[in-house]
Amino acid sequence: MFIVLLIVHGLFAVALLGAITHQAVSTWLPGQRQAGSFTGRFRGVSAAGYAKAIVVLYVCTAILGAIIYPEFRISIRGVLDELDAPAVMGAFELKEHFAVVGLAVLPAYLYFWRLPLADEYRRTRMALTAVLAFITWWNFLVGHVVNNFRGYAA
Amino acid sequence: MIRPRSVAFVAIVFAVVYAIAYVIAVWKNVPVFTYHPIAGTIGLGVEKPHDGPAMYWFGWMSTAAIAALAACLVASLVPERIARRLGSAWAWAVPVGVLLFFAYLLRGYFLR
Repeated sequence: MFIVLLIVHGLFAVALLGAITHQAVSTWLPGQRQAGSFTGRFRGVSAAGYAKAIVVLYVCTAILGAIIYPEFRISIRGVLDELDAPAVMGAFELKEHFAVVGLAVLPAYLYFWRLPLADEYRRTRMALTAVLAFITWWNFLVGHVVNNFRGYAA
Repeated sequence: MIRPRSVAFVAIVFAVVYAIAYVIAVWKNVPVFTYHPIAGTIGLGVEKPHDGPAMYWFGWMSTAAIAALAACLVASLVPERIARRLGSAWAWAVPVGVLLFFAYLLRGYFLR
């Protein structure tokens, strides 16, 4: 059951990563809607349309992470301690705290992305999106490193 | 009925208070409860590990949630003319500061 939940947690994280990256790039480096290139189309998406999906995906990913966290604490953390990998453990500790900070900004993020978009909050939207994108990327990469670390170490 | 700017004010207050309350809860170890995952039991406040590890993370989040919800309750009563004075940048500036503080707090893992 733990493995199933871990995989579902990972799948939600992949979807979240795609959505927040699309939104962050189209917010910070907006492109033309009718762009012909792949990068142009990537940058030209409607950023506001991702906001609700990002909130739902973030919450679902966080809930699944919280459900499997006790099993990690019981079975896996001890192994990491034995492998003497303080940087990996530190990165995971940051992941758990960063995830909570991400939850804290979600209501404000959702509010400032509501339609119609207010021009006065453009910088706030950019910053909140960047914060969530950073947290999502950090947590995704660290989750994968921790998940695979025993294999790397071996 | 809450006016739109007041909703923004409450959302900003939530982001600021939740982030600060959470970092204080972690730093000073103030969880509402301790979870013992092997025994499957919960104890109020800080409890030492028994029958395996003790988990404080859920308790820290709950501490922060209580503080943030209380702050939001107060914030919802603040008149709109005062709520307007709070800049929206607080919603991201404080959480970014908290992220940096966590990196500082856990630097020992990376500097061994």
